[in-house]
Amino acid sequence: MQDETKNENGIFRLIVLGTIGLIVLALLSMAIGKYALSPASVLNVLISGLTGNTDGVDPIQQTVIWNVRLPRVLAGILIGAALASAGATYQGLFRNPLVSPDILGVSAGASLGAVLAIFFDQPVVIIQISSFCGGLLAVGAVYAVGTAIRDRDPVLTLVLAGVAIGAVVGAGISLIKILADPYNQLPAMTYWLLGSLTAVTRADVLSILPATLIGLLPLILLRWRMNVMTLGDEEAQTLGVDTRITRAALISGATLITAASVSIAGIVGWIGLVIPHIARLLVGPDFRKLLPASILLGGAYMLVVDTLARSIAAIEIPLGILTAVVGAPFFLWLLASGRRGWS
Amino acid sequence: MSRLLALTIAFLFALIAPSFARPFTDAGGRTVEIPDHVTRVLTAGPPASVLVYVLAPDKLTGWVREPSAQEKEFLMPAVRDLPTFGRLTGQGGTANMEAVLAAKPDLIVDVGTVNATYISLADKVQAQTGIPYVLIDGSFAKTPETLRQVGDLLGVSARAGELATYAETGLKTLNDGLAKIPAADRPKVYYGRGPEGLETGLAGSINLEILEAVGAANVAAAAGKGGLTNVSLEQVLGWNPDIILAASPKFAATAKSDAGWANIAAVKAGKVYTTPSLPFGWFDSPPGINRLLGVSWLEALLYPKAFNVDLKSDTKSFFKLFYQVDLSDAQLDSLLKGATPKP
Amino acid sequence: MTLETRDLAFGYGARTVGSGVTVTIKQGEVLALLGPNGAGKTTLFKTMLGLLAPKAGDILLDDRPLSAFSRAERAKNIAYVPQAHAALFPFTVADVVLMGRAARLTPFATPSRKDRDIAGEALERLGMTHLATRPYTEISGGERQMALIARALAQEPKILVMDEPTASLDYGNQMRVLTQIQTLASEGMAIVLSTHNPDHVFMVADRVALLHETKLVALGAPKDVLTAERLKQLYDIDVVIGTLPGSDILSCSPRLNPAKTLPET
Repeated sequence: MQDETKNENGIFRLIVLGTIGLIVLALLSMAIGKYALSPASVLNVLISGLTGNTDGVDPIQQTVIWNVRLPRVLAGILIGAALASAGATYQGLFRNPLVSPDILGVSAGASLGAVLAIFFDQPVVIIQISSFCGGLLAVGAVYAVGTAIRDRDPVLTLVLAGVAIGAVVGAGISLIKILADPYNQLPAMTYWLLGSLTAVTRADVLSILPATLIGLLPLILLRWRMNVMTLGDEEAQTLGVDTRITRAALISGATLITAASVSIAGIVGWIGLVIPHIARLLVGPDFRKLLPASILLGGAYMLVVDTLARSIAAIEIPLGILTAVVGAPFFLWLLASGRRGWS
Repeated sequence: MSRLLALTIAFLFALIAPSFARPFTDAGGRTVEIPDHVTRVLTAGPPASVLVYVLAPDKLTGWVREPSAQEKEFLMPAVRDLPTFGRLTGQGGTANMEAVLAAKPDLIVDVGTVNATYISLADKVQAQTGIPYVLIDGSFAKTPETLRQVGDLLGVSARAGELATYAETGLKTLNDGLAKIPAADRPKVYYGRGPEGLETGLAGSINLEILEAVGAANVAAAAGKGGLTNVSLEQVLGWNPDIILAASPKFAATAKSDAGWANIAAVKAGKVYTTPSLPFGWFDSPPGINRLLGVSWLEALLYPKAFNVDLKSDTKSFFKLFYQVDLSDAQLDSLLKGATPKP
Repeated sequence: MTLETRDLAFGYGARTVGSGVTVTIKQGEVLALLGPNGAGKTTLFKTMLGLLAPKAGDILLDDRPLSAFSRAERAKNIAYVPQAHAALFPFTVADVVLMGRAARLTPFATPSRKDRDIAGEALERLGMTHLATRPYTEISGGERQMALIARALAQEPKILVMDEPTASLDYGNQMRVLTQIQTLASEGMAIVLSTHNPDHVFMVADRVALLHETKLVALGAPKDVLTAERLKQLYDIDVVIGTLPGSDILSCSPRLNPAKTLPET
């Protein structure tokens, strides 16, 4: 058909323009912050750092740019992109626009992992690993239970298993919070559960990069097959798709990237729910366009939100609060404006 | 060629720059390079703020939490309006890294519990900001050592010695006095925090350290070892304490008027006291060296016969020596309101 | 290519809906499945498509058990046209039809120009080209049914299984679909369809199977099987079957009996 090349070009243009936009946004974000730095000195520090010629550059400025802002900007983009693409995948897979990446309990599991590690006074690295494993274990348990129940709609079974296991894990989190020391541990837990990039270092960004890339791989490779999956299990099967394997691959990928994000940033709500919607309004439901659009929009949104988190008040504002405050009115406006990405 | 140039430059720098650092091993076993002349200190949590304030108020760069108007009345004018930075304990912290860097501190001090979580957070913040970060054990028994150690760090050994001697004298008087008091004469005390007074500390809790130091029996120790915890009124009724210490006047009023508390020995005997809390808590919150004055108060309160304490004069001299504030008689009365038996 | 069931029993979970179904569908043949609501037509279809495991008996595709074929191999041979349904996401009609190519593509592949062309031809064949760029969620139920047929054609199957393909269509579209069915069969496609309309059976079916109370009660040429007695047995309705003047096919005319349809008070 005639729109074949147009379509391919459209995806290519979306990715190129979106990436350029994201880079511009990242540079702007690098120039904003509590430590006053002119855009010129930001560029100067960046260029001097890249060329290795740092003579005469203020060391504090270098620290601000390289150790505080850059890791946060990169982590923000990475996490926003991860959560939004996981959200887009889950929404399609579960054929429900109200689904967020938490649907199979990854956030709950990650929270329990983190809260347990904080409770046992573990080092930050262990808290992060425990959170990552908690997220994977929770989804693994949901998946095992969901597939063990036969002769039922597998998608619905998974969702219900997610609800049940999520409730148990949630009870565990509450129990640990009750047992935790309100002076030493509870603030850390509460703050962790609200999500923050305050303490993100370059090492953190590097540590989640492999899991995020590996997780994105099935989503990218199965980007067209994902469209067929939105038809539901039986219809996709009659079209020749092995839905069991395809679903397992997509869930693994989306879970891996969500767990990686949550392990360094805590629970950042809303992005995985709202961004896929907005992306769908902009580019339609075709996952070949929806995935890059979600990645780019998610990255940009998280970048903007984290820039606000670190610059609007004297102290840090947890991300979970800001994503909701910024996201909810926009979401309601979308609903009211009558534009719909689903029916 | 360029490498040779870099080496030459580095060598020249080494010649002109003074030797900046000395190694210091902190309570976490971390070896941190400390600058010779520390002029600006950032405190990671409230106990550290108190410690730096009493030792070197001119070196304090800001507060973790903005002092209230009430608190400011009892602080020396120079520190009343310092900026607020928030808690700086990484993932659980609210401090903005850039605001911290903008304050250009040359040392970050954290006083309190030392465990793997805090050690790794200290490493992380130090790596991120490039500012030396030391962990100081905040246990009450080590108060004189802590004062001297941090005094050396800050280059105020003479003042630290003066304060440490005061602390040593106080602790010696306490321990000599306690040695003569048989276990039977030591009262059973319940310490209640929170609006309902049902938050308390288990055995070994840093928040109840000075209750143990003054030899009283913490009734909540029956519930086990640990930090702060929530208990039920039933448990308190079962413990039937001789004395109730209320962290807030609100709880003191509740305990005196509420029917549920009426049958407890302490309430029947009218022994419900409010812990003085200005400018820093005398009993805990924060669990810092501010608690030294609490010892005199508890000696007078718990063992009026064994210790010959002139609480008013002790309070005046402590405020003069530590907080560098002269108390008026009216201020003294407001400080001790509800904290002592009615004459 | 033939699709054959031998003494097939089918059902959901622990429940057996029907049993003893033995039919063979050959190339170029149209088999109609007639039965009252709840007789298990959709369940039988899902079993024949391999979506549900048979409770007993065999399903053979060219004498090989269906279970020996992979999902993709099955989909290359058998296409399913479900009853038109509401879709969740606003894919364009062209995108929906293109999904019929899934079985012909490796899992990681995206459709090529050739796949687009095949999908386009399927749309054109059904006179749907003008709807290609419209969202599937915004077209009428009849148009959706046509789009689903186009999707099945894009699959390039040898056997077409259609679940009440005329149910949601207006009179004109019903006849267009029936014409397509006839054309496809004449080109060699084997077609199984379910319907509630005996007229449609007379129009297109070579054979008809009657499903009643969990059993296959009759199988044969429509004029032999679809008699007034049988329809009375299936639906409890009195009908007259005959040929209208000027027509050369049988048609069925029900006689309404108010005393019977309304319960006595």
